[in-house]
Amino acid sequence: MRNPFKEFGCLSVEKKELPLERIVRAREEVMGQMIHGYLKLVEEEVKDLVWLVEHSRVVKAYSAAVKSIRDLQYDVDDIEEFCGELDSSNKIPYMISGPAGIYVSALINHAKEDRIVLRLRDYQRTFHFLGYRLPEGKTLILQGDVGDFVGAGLSGGRLVVEGSVGNWCGAGMMKGEIQITENSGQNTGEWMRGGEIHVEGRIRSVGKTLFGGRIFQRGKLVMPQDLELDI
Amino acid sequence: MRMASQSNGALREAVHEIHDYIQENLYLNRPDMTVNGKKYNSALLLCLISGLRKGKTLIIGEPGLGKTTSAEYVCSLLYRFPLGTIWGSEVAGHPEQTEEKIIGRPDLGKLNLGEEVVVWSHFAMLPVKIVDEINRLPETKQSMILDGVDRGNWEYLNDAIINKEYCLFATANYQDRGTNTIIAPLVDRFDLMVESKHPGANLAYLIGMRGAGGAVLRHEELEAEFHRVLSQRTSYEARMEAVESLCDRFGEILKNEANITTLSRAQREIIRAEMDNIPFDLDANAFLRMVLCELSFCHRFGQKRSNETCEEGCHFTGYTCNGIRNCISNRFPISARNMAQGLAWFVGDKEVGIEHLKAILPYTLAHRIQWKDEVIAQHEKEPRSDPLPIYMAKQCVKVMHRRYMEQGGQIKNALAVACRVAEGESLEPIKGDHPIFWEIRKDLGEEVLEQ
Repeated sequence: MRNPFKEFGCLSVEKKELPLERIVRAREEVMGQMIHGYLKLVEEEVKDLVWLVEHSRVVKAYSAAVKSIRDLQYDVDDIEEFCGELDSSNKIPYMISGPAGIYVSALINHAKEDRIVLRLRDYQRTFHFLGYRLPEGKTLILQGDVGDFVGAGLSGGRLVVEGSVGNWCGAGMMKGEIQITENSGQNTGEWMRGGEIHVEGRIRSVGKTLFGGRIFQRGKLVMPQDLELDI
Repeated sequence: MRMASQSNGALREAVHEIHDYIQENLYLNRPDMTVNGKKYNSALLLCLISGLRKGKTLIIGEPGLGKTTSAEYVCSLLYRFPLGTIWGSEVAGHPEQTEEKIIGRPDLGKLNLGEEVVVWSHFAMLPVKIVDEINRLPETKQSMILDGVDRGNWEYLNDAIINKEYCLFATANYQDRGTNTIIAPLVDRFDLMVESKHPGANLAYLIGMRGAGGAVLRHEELEAEFHRVLSQRTSYEARMEAVESLCDRFGEILKNEANITTLSRAQREIIRAEMDNIPFDLDANAFLRMVLCELSFCHRFGQKRSNETCEEGCHFTGYTCNGIRNCISNRFPISARNMAQGLAWFVGDKEVGIEHLKAILPYTLAHRIQWKDEVIAQHEKEPRSDPLPIYMAKQCVKVMHRRYMEQGGQIKNALAVACRVAEGESLEPIKGDHPIFWEIRKDLGEEVLEQ
């Protein structure tokens, strides 16, 4: 067929690109890698779409998550967008709360920024395991209510929850600080070894086994109680 | 950007002289269009260009405002025919008009001897054709002149003549009880539609004081000679050669007696060849493609069709395609090219640019676009100085031009990429919102129908 564009053959093709297009494309690329990493984690760690919270499984899932994001260049906006994708996008066929939270925690712990704020209020889903192993020097502020195991295994970071947390908050935390502006659920601080948990509202119950650390309610030390007596 | 050739300049100068002579002496009217900063009267300028381009022009207007006379003056001076000869060849549109009066009739004398010989009408034979009040011809009789209007091909009984060179002017009054609709296929055959406007009170006063002009274009002796030659029973070609020599004589008379320069057939051919060689610059090229696209595009049904209506909430609602009912014909780009080249030649430019197209397009589109009723309702009460179809076409061209100004770079880029893709390079066609980007992808073989 005759080339109907022949007269324009003399024009040099300009690859005009708007800066916004470049930015959007880069973001989409990062998001694609994040989603791919998460789906791979789910595929490897979750059998029959059931994921049981066992110490060894949590550790393994976290290691796998860290491995998958090792070469990824991202920032806090990407993390927030990923949370949005987990919440509502059809790009992610299934959202398993535990691994999702561990994956987001891995992203937070390896992000360049030291202070990270996540606005979770608008999301329909509840995120668990946020702040898992938050390292020293990092501050994570979660705006809105969060799920279980928040701040589990905290490793020196500062976690602020502007809302309520579910059960097992700060489980097995090593050091660092968790501040909760509203209520916490059952087994708060179970197996904690160090650090502090401050709850401004009600604590449904504290953990039965604490190896260290302190839990405060409205500024008043509630665990360990004998320490208070010593003072 | 001006043409350098001296001979070209001389011919253009001659055409300018004709224009100025008519403007100053015969057809007094106000300028109503601007090209390259100079003001012209659209009816006069476009009739002149159309006459040179072998075009077909529909002149509309109120009775008595110079529709027919402007065409007669232009034909007389461009083709060197005395007014009396032109009057004798004119076809008057009325319900009782017949094929025998318009095209030809049997030679009754020869028929009695058993010979079938056609006596062609002067209208069919002469290169200047004027149909007065064409919309008074009933619709069935309009069909009779379709082929002749389109190709200069006139047939009667078993005989036919083909005009090698011809231009056609038809006049039409606004609708009244005695008028009919001009059928769509006939309307589409007109390259241009232009209005012969009222010249204003002051020029009208001058016309009244001066009386009917054009006496200088009369020559009874030559008119009789023309009549004699045209009535001969020789071949059509032989008669036209004899007519041409009479035309040259009339040209000399005009030059000697009234100092008016006119054009010979050879000169007209040179002018046409020069016009044909004027290229479109890339912007004009891309803009015309964009215009064609907006007047033919339908994402849902593949193209505009007058029996299909736009879907509610169509993504392309803001484009011209959404406001019109019909699909633009392939005669439109031919008219636009011919007339834009003619205008560029007239003003001495060596390329057709967007400005030439902008000036020409409203007149090539006004009679071809069928607007939706709601669009007409939106515009009909707006303040304007043109008849509604021309006004709406001007507005439409203005809007499309604005869009081209915004997206022209991207459109040209898309066309350049498309050229490379069509030549086999592996490139991604450029996407954009305007329908032209979708049309380009269609031409590159992509399936872009609405899902």
